[in-house]
Amino acid sequence: MSVLHIADVTKTFSGGTNAVDSFSLDVADGELVCLLGPSGSGKSTLLRMVGGFEQPNSGRITIDGEEVTHLPPERRPTGMVFQSHALWTHMNVFKNLAFGLKLRRMPAAQIREKVEAVLELVGLAGYGDRMTTQLSGGQQQRVALARSLVLEPKILLLDEPFASLDQHLRERLREEVRDIQQRLKITTLFVTHGQDEALSMADRIVVMANGKTEQIDRPDVVYRDPKTPFVAGFIGTMNLIEGEVSNGIFVRSALTVPLPIADGPATLAIRPEALDLSASDIPKASVHRVTDYGSHGLVDLDLADGTRVKSMVAHPDMLRAGQGVDLLPRAFAAYRNNQQIYRS
Amino acid sequence: MSEVAKAAARPLMENAQSRRPLGLLLVAIPVFLMIWLVVWPAINAISRTIWRPDVDGNVGFDLSSYAFFFSDRYSLDNLAITLWTTLVCAILLLVICLPIALYLRFSRSRLSGYVQALAILPMFVPSIILAFAFIRVLGPNGMVDILFNAVGLPKIRTPYLTPWGPVIGLVWDNIPLTVLILLSGLGSVANQSIEAARDVGANALRVFRHIILPRISNSILVALSFSVLGIFSSFTLPYLLGPASPEMLGPFMQRTLREVQDPIGAMTQAVIAFGFCIVFGLFYVRSVARNQGK
Ligand SMILES: Nc1ncnc2c1ncn2[C@@H]1O[C@H](COP(=O)(O)OP(=O)(O)OP(=O)(O)O)[C@@H](O)[C@H]1O
Ligand SMILES: [Mg+2]
Repeated sequence: MSVLHIADVTKTFSGGTNAVDSFSLDVADGELVCLLGPSGSGKSTLLRMVGGFEQPNSGRITIDGEEVTHLPPERRPTGMVFQSHALWTHMNVFKNLAFGLKLRRMPAAQIREKVEAVLELVGLAGYGDRMTTQLSGGQQQRVALARSLVLEPKILLLDEPFASLDQHLRERLREEVRDIQQRLKITTLFVTHGQDEALSMADRIVVMANGKTEQIDRPDVVYRDPKTPFVAGFIGTMNLIEGEVSNGIFVRSALTVPLPIADGPATLAIRPEALDLSASDIPKASVHRVTDYGSHGLVDLDLADGTRVKSMVAHPDMLRAGQGVDLLPRAFAAYRNNQQIYRS
Repeated sequence: MSEVAKAAARPLMENAQSRRPLGLLLVAIPVFLMIWLVVWPAINAISRTIWRPDVDGNVGFDLSSYAFFFSDRYSLDNLAITLWTTLVCAILLLVICLPIALYLRFSRSRLSGYVQALAILPMFVPSIILAFAFIRVLGPNGMVDILFNAVGLPKIRTPYLTPWGPVIGLVWDNIPLTVLILLSGLGSVANQSIEAARDVGANALRVFRHIILPRISNSILVALSFSVLGIFSSFTLPYLLGPASPEMLGPFMQRTLREVQDPIGAMTQAVIAFGFCIVFGLFYVRSVARNQGK
């Protein structure tokens, strides 16, 4: 059953930018959906409209069947975790968590019990008396998460909560948040512009560009079967090669690939791991650089007209810069007019 | 500490020592100026009001000028009107400037630029001009009277030459500084911390009470003590706009010195004013220290 329902929401800022453009999304109970997109694609704006911090120009947002489109944040059953600077530095950790409960006139004993339980959940048991300024960046974001969780919101909203943390901490907190989210079965919208974050956490990913949805799918589907060239280029590494199709053959420079579609321009998308190389008397590309990562190697190749493509190989030590090779795509997709028209 | 660590620490310490004379010099100049221009005259004034020659010319300890001040009805009335004016101004300043500062900090509208310009304007208007503007607008037969008359309304009871005259002038004069100090305090309140409070269910009033106010209480103290100290010892506006009796300590001192020709009396009044300002100052220092200890 869908808990959060976003229907045809548009937000135009006074400057005239369409930050979010006719956006629709349904989020099921207990689902974690990642909003993924480049900077400025409207992810934060969308999240802030769900939280009540921005008003959409048109469209409807309903939570549990109840319309909240124009309710202020304090009257919505949502809890938001901000990127940073959102803790109240004049209160200690306990008071930060208890503030919302006090506003709900909960008895003091019950508040203490709840706050302690949630602190335990985020791994900060016993930190209640600390001032927030005496915590590390990771601990501060855990307090921010706990502050939202303690109110048991119907929907948890996270706007790049780990962006200011280092790589290791980010990965650890990502797993913790995912664990907590699954344990509490709390419906979650998570904004990120890191694709590995989205791929590792999400039940579904919404790829956004220019305020519009590019694709909504499970992470593995988004990776394996990107529906638009934008998604293909944005998620993972992808060779996007522009060329012409004639008589069922795609041509770019010396590269030719059988492609059973109508004649005309097309963009061919091949993952590096799906592009095999072989020695050949009539080479189609020359090796530019070989990078050996130990477990595998990455080869940069140049077509005759200078187009750069990448290939992932198991034995990079057999290749030399300047060497001519043949290109053998194993799996690929083709796009025309921003739509996928073929997938092998 | 190992030998290596000692060796590494040495140049740093030498460095600090070689810089010391310059640092001391930099501190010495303001300290010297303060002693010369503030502390010495203060001590001088205090000692000249308590070590005085009696009728026979013997210099001795004598508190009679203070005894006179605190037993003289007129002096006490002047002190009372000064304290009253200061208190009323402080309250009005807070009531007027806090909403302006909050508006300037949180408004997204383009109007806020004009409001800011208007709020800061009094800073560039000398008090004399302010006083004459006041008289032309609110004084007898001033602009307000003329406008009221034109639409058939009765004459206003003008605040000119009443205790409210200086209050209005002093409040107007102190708005810019108060707004600017409050605004800088509000600048330290992050938008996200306010949004987080609304997110957990606080309405605008509660956000102000529980999130904004605790963060800017120091700024409020600073703003109020600046204006209170200035207003308590103000001269021009009470002199030009206030009643002749009772009068605020500023004009009172001036009159005691020039017209009554009683330098000891004027000095006594100055010392008493100084004492009150020190009390305000101590109160301010204590509150700031307590807030920081929290
Ligand atoms: N308050 C605002 N006033 C005017 N324009 C805004 C405002 N907030 C956002 N925008 C514009 O809306 C667009 C989307 O912004 P948004 O913050 O939603 O992007 P984002 O996807 O969250 O980007 P990032 O990954 O950098 O956080 C941007 O072009 C931005 O300039
Ligand atoms: Mg953002």
